[in-house]
Amino acid sequence: MSTEAIPAEKPKRNYNALFGLTLLALLVLLWVILSLSTSSFASANNISNLLRQGSMIAILAVGQTFVIITGGIDLSVGAVVGFATVIAAMLINAGVPVFLAILLTLLVGVAIGLFHGFGIVKMGLPPFIITLATLTSLRGIGLLMTNGNSISINNDAFQEFSRNSFLGVPNLFWMVLLVGIPAYVFLHHSRWGRYLFSVGSNAEASRLSGVNVQRTIFMAYTLSGLCAAFVGVLLASRIGIGNPTQAEGWELQAIASSVIGGTSLFGAVGSVHGPLLGAFILATINNGANLLNVNAFWQRVITGVLIIVIVYFDGLRRRGGK
Amino acid sequence: MTPTAHEVHPAPALEPGRTILELRGLEKRYPGTHALKPVDLAFKASEIHAIVGENGAGKSTLIKLLTGVMPRTSGEVIWEGQSAALATPHEAMALGINAVHQEVVLCRHLTVAANMFLGEENSRFGILQQRAMVKEAQKIIDDLGFDLPAHVTLGDLTIGQQQLIAAARATVRGTKFLIFDEPTAYLTRKEADQLFTLIRRLKTEGVTIIYISHRMEEVFELADRVSVLRDGTLVGTRNISETNDAELVKLMINRSIEQIYHKEHFTPGAAIIEARNLSGKGFENVSMTVRAGEIVGLYGLIGAGRSEFVTTLYGRHKKSAGQVLWEGKDVQINSEHDAIKLGMALAPESRRDQGLCLNLPVGLNLNLPIYKRISSNLLISNAKEKAEADRQIAGLRIKTPTRHALASSLSGGNQQKIVIGKWLAHGAKLFIFDEPTVGVDVGTKAEIYRLFSALLSKGAGIILISSYLPEVYELADTLHVFRRGKLVATHGFHTADHEDILTQALAEKQEKLGGKT
Ligand SMILES: Nc1ncnc2c1ncn2[C@@H]1O[C@H](COP(=O)(O)OP(=O)(O)OP(=O)(O)O)[C@@H](O)[C@H]1O
Ligand SMILES: [Mg+2]
Repeated sequence: MSTEAIPAEKPKRNYNALFGLTLLALLVLLWVILSLSTSSFASANNISNLLRQGSMIAILAVGQTFVIITGGIDLSVGAVVGFATVIAAMLINAGVPVFLAILLTLLVGVAIGLFHGFGIVKMGLPPFIITLATLTSLRGIGLLMTNGNSISINNDAFQEFSRNSFLGVPNLFWMVLLVGIPAYVFLHHSRWGRYLFSVGSNAEASRLSGVNVQRTIFMAYTLSGLCAAFVGVLLASRIGIGNPTQAEGWELQAIASSVIGGTSLFGAVGSVHGPLLGAFILATINNGANLLNVNAFWQRVITGVLIIVIVYFDGLRRRGGK
Repeated sequence: MTPTAHEVHPAPALEPGRTILELRGLEKRYPGTHALKPVDLAFKASEIHAIVGENGAGKSTLIKLLTGVMPRTSGEVIWEGQSAALATPHEAMALGINAVHQEVVLCRHLTVAANMFLGEENSRFGILQQRAMVKEAQKIIDDLGFDLPAHVTLGDLTIGQQQLIAAARATVRGTKFLIFDEPTAYLTRKEADQLFTLIRRLKTEGVTIIYISHRMEEVFELADRVSVLRDGTLVGTRNISETNDAELVKLMINRSIEQIYHKEHFTPGAAIIEARNLSGKGFENVSMTVRAGEIVGLYGLIGAGRSEFVTTLYGRHKKSAGQVLWEGKDVQINSEHDAIKLGMALAPESRRDQGLCLNLPVGLNLNLPIYKRISSNLLISNAKEKAEADRQIAGLRIKTPTRHALASSLSGGNQQKIVIGKWLAHGAKLFIFDEPTVGVDVGTKAEIYRLFSALLSKGAGIILISSYLPEVYELADTLHVFRRGKLVATHGFHTADHEDILTQALAEKQEKLGGKT
């Protein structure tokens, strides 16, 4: 064989970026179509709304992606979001300064992530099982804590935050950047990011190469828990209540966004920008379907079909384009 | 076919010398790699045809085309006078073409018997006849003279034993044309002899055999003819009686090698590591010392406890008794992390399971142990990452378009070079190489041995495990022989001969060794 001078590796190398561009193109295409076919889509109000809707799933998807890259899954994130709204609401209503309340809520997320790491690494439980267990029990604990009631938050400043904009862009979207940029640097430019990939690809080989596999797994779930708790704070601010049953099914939306964004459920393949775009594509479809008065039941079907189509084409490109 | 109807050779013997399979302009391109340039070659009925060539020369690619594992880019394959599409493995098998691939491609979680009949299970009304299958499989294995149980899980066998099972599996399918891609890479001499007996027997039964190997002596022992591939081009076919080692090597790499086993003797320095009466899973009461500047070779059959011993030293498994001294001080090594911190490096035995992240880039694999060093704080230095990877790729001549290519797209031998290469920049004091040259071509072998010398000259010590006696024999300053978990003999450089060492490794199990080295 000969390694020809043609840089046939270029496409491979820029594959991530290329796939990202395709997703971006898809998103823009959706926006153009919706702007043309509905009068209300392009309104500032609707766009802000769309960004707010998409932002929370986007942040969840980033955390989820870290976990999926290691070859795991975190089914608990929706429940953590709901639980975090309760914690935040209770703390704020108890008079804890907002800043501290947020910090403590985030710590709860970290603790839940550490618990997952413990279950997987030390108890040898499959990620699917331990996070599924957390999913149901966290909702239960939240309901016990609130007696099944919603807690309304008595703090206007806290609620203002999610409604306001900065430079014309909703604050919630700025939060995506606040999470996304460090996440990008972390995943693609730090050794910890490399370790996430290597553990997802071959844990034994990583271990023999001196990678601390256990710590890497702890880290992935902790980051996912942290992202989820952060989203919980944002959601509490947005709806003004703490309610453990909120964010039902968001874990699946986060996983879907991640997968649409090119993450492989087998591990070792993924990025940060992909899941972000995936989340906004999903949000756009839901938003557009609402505007077009598509039956809400159909929206779910459409989302399902979309997942299959995008992931299928991604697989084709990967196999063919390699 | 069902196991009960089993025969080893249902193929009618063709008259020898007739062409059974012909390649006309067979070609394969991967994106970025022209792996096989148009090749014309005819295989005669019931010949053993060896194919040799450097790592990445295109040998495995040729096999993948013939067995329908990969589609060809262009060209034609003529099977018994008729053009064959060979689009799927199924089609190739239906014609009677089978292969034992370089990497064992069987199901590790199934039993040996289930693997042997995979795809052709014996069932009655949809219910598997498990017991009958195990019995039948055992009969075939015994027939072939392999000393292996059929009811155990395949993953519990050593890689070499799995390879024998893969060979046995190929014989049950009405094979007329059987390809072995480096079958002896993980076999001990004894297992290799069993395999050679099988191959010769198949030949007398009319089966045509392609035999791929990097070991010249095997080629000369077995083959009738030999073809040489270089850079995807067929550079020559010779009758075995009309060629020699030197000519083949010259054809393969386009230059000659005076000496493969490059050995420099250094005066040994202080002890780096010392094991005292160390016991653990798979070995007991082993004592040895490795000093700066020396190679300590561990020879034995696969399963003799050598790999277990070194992985225990490396903290992968717990020791059950004994003591380890590092540079004279008593140390507890509880994890591979501890070992690496002290200054150990381990290139493990199985590149697939332990050595590589196959679906990640070559560069990431090479840099994995040193990311700490090439990043400042948390961020990786792109320049250093690139420089380190490219240095190993150039130094070991790893054949890859760039460091961004996935490790899985490299040829077997080139993957092996990554397993070794990733430790070279690490700056360890003790290198443990477990079967380091499995599947590596002669030219690169010579280079790796030179690298050993370079490491020694910098004051490092090396533990070298090999099931290939000439390798440890020619390189080790101290040679320990393992048998069934015990260290049974120790020799200095060239102080014992091959026969003695083999006898010690085998001991009571003194079956015929095929009269070879
Ligand atoms: N799936 C693939 N995608 C891209 N390139 C490939 C792929 N498989 C093999 N190659 C390339 O094709 C060339 C020939 O590889 P092949 O595996 O045939 O070599 P080989 O002669 O069997 O080498 P070895 O002795 O190391 O096993 C190599 O350069 C390899 O990198
Ligand atoms: Mg090969």
